[in-house]
Amino acid sequence: MTEETIQPKVLEPVFNHANGRLLMPETRYWPTDMWKSPWSLPTYRRGAAVLAGLILGIAGVAWFIGEIGPRLAPIYTLAEQFALSYGVPAFWIAVVWTFIKGVFVLLAPALNALFAVWWERKISAHIQSRMGPMYVGWWHGALQTLADGIKLFLKEDIVPDCADKVVHWLAPVVVLIPAILVFAPVPFGKDLIYANIDIGTVYVFAVGGVSVMGIIMAGWSSGNKFSLLGGLRSAAQLVSYELPRTFAVLPVIMLAGTLNIADIAGFQAGYWGGIVPRWFIFYPVVGQVAFIVFLIASVAETNRVPFDIPEAESELVAGFNTEYSGMKFALFFLSEFAYVLLSCLLMSSFFFGGGAAPLPFLDFLPSWAWFLSKTLILMFCFLWFRWTFPRFRVDRLMDFNWKFLLPVSLLNIAAGGVLIWLLS
Amino acid sequence: MKNYIAFVFDASWNTLKGLWVTLKVLFLPSITVQYPTEKIVPYARFRGMLAYDAEACIACGMCVRACPSKCIALAKAAAAPVPAPVEGQPAVPPAKPKIEWYTIDYGRCNFCGLCEESCPTKPKKALWHSLDYEAIFSTRAEMVRRWKRGDDLWGTARKTADGQLAPITDQIHIQSVPVRK
Repeated sequence: MTEETIQPKVLEPVFNHANGRLLMPETRYWPTDMWKSPWSLPTYRRGAAVLAGLILGIAGVAWFIGEIGPRLAPIYTLAEQFALSYGVPAFWIAVVWTFIKGVFVLLAPALNALFAVWWERKISAHIQSRMGPMYVGWWHGALQTLADGIKLFLKEDIVPDCADKVVHWLAPVVVLIPAILVFAPVPFGKDLIYANIDIGTVYVFAVGGVSVMGIIMAGWSSGNKFSLLGGLRSAAQLVSYELPRTFAVLPVIMLAGTLNIADIAGFQAGYWGGIVPRWFIFYPVVGQVAFIVFLIASVAETNRVPFDIPEAESELVAGFNTEYSGMKFALFFLSEFAYVLLSCLLMSSFFFGGGAAPLPFLDFLPSWAWFLSKTLILMFCFLWFRWTFPRFRVDRLMDFNWKFLLPVSLLNIAAGGVLIWLLS
Repeated sequence: MKNYIAFVFDASWNTLKGLWVTLKVLFLPSITVQYPTEKIVPYARFRGMLAYDAEACIACGMCVRACPSKCIALAKAAAAPVPAPVEGQPAVPPAKPKIEWYTIDYGRCNFCGLCEESCPTKPKKALWHSLDYEAIFSTRAEMVRRWKRGDDLWGTARKTADGQLAPITDQIHIQSVPVRK
């Protein structure tokens, strides 16, 4: 018996292209060892470097592109002159321009849903020490949502026998259309706004409220008692949380003296003492309370955990969208994420100064980049809450609204009045 | 009123504590092992698939007797003829009886490790549990692994496709199989 005959096969270490880990003979992946000193893992350092590189790279691209909004006016003038030279009436030029802008507004919720679903899955996975989608797409499952969307397109559209066919068909439309319309007066950066109307804030709250109709319709028309319960819970919740949400914005409106969202964001430009930005959240007490109330009410408005009783998976079998399949189901999701994006955009306009840089020397980045980053950080908060808190009970949900949020927001309006009196 | 404010403060504080816990875990590395491309190496005393060295085996049959589920069978080779002694040279000792064939039925094996414990060969055991946990059987015939002299550590099995004995090639080795002492 020689040493050669018993020498076992030694395999090449397997390199994992998905996360760059290398399987070496002495590799151990036990969590406790790993968590004691995560920085000793080469993959952890690499991941941190990749994240930092991504953020810096996106910032660099944003700096390279620069402001988009002010450039649109010269482009419009050029196109107008070009079209006028061919004898196109000015009215039709305006109509076509409005349609082009509308396409971009339509893209916002669609692209947002593509990104937000993937991001939610990644964050939920990492909060639970998982990895989430890793295979579809080139990097960390980046195209997973697209693949899911294609799958949902190919799915059979099932309508239950006892469903009210017309209402069942109409409900996703009624949910989705306000979710797109509501983006009209919301700014995405300096001059990046579809309709700069003076009653923007009122418009957003009014049109956003229409979606409740669609949810009730979905619940009622499904012919399913759980769906009906979900729809009714949704109605109760959305109607009650609309109040503190609107009241929370009132101090902002009182201070800014306008309902135009872009003007409210512009009102917060500048810095106190050259360092602290004049954002509304830094106004003592009133700003913080208003922000917290608005944040909680927004989470409730968008039917997300911990306020997701309309679509409580464990008690209502997903609630009002149980009987929906295929693309109709996807439309409910699209509108939910559209409302999340809307809430985050509103919060960054109302409380975080819109496109203003947090520090004076950081204003070399364009306003849309700051807007986007603030929105994404707030959206991260939504996902973070979702995977931290358990669901409210129905009665406690109402208690929390009527006995805590509403009085606090009303007091906050009074405090805002006092603050204005002190400032003047 | 005082109780109410204390309650609100307490609830907010606990909320923040919960958020802090999830935020900490979010930035820790995930424990998921992406199995087909990334494999955990089991701990050293893990009892995986049996590896058998036909060259080292002396066909004593201790493992057959030790096996509680009677999954091991073997046949001794006929003893090689002792060469006639040559003048002026030391006598050649008679060769140890070697194995003709050796089978393990994984359908019965319960991976207890008694066969490995009972194996008397020195300095290296002829039969031992490797760290390999990746084995696939699609028929009962395939579960019977057979070794003859000259086979590698994983032996041969009857393939489902043609029913012929073939070396185990589709078993992906977790790691080099350590030689047990």
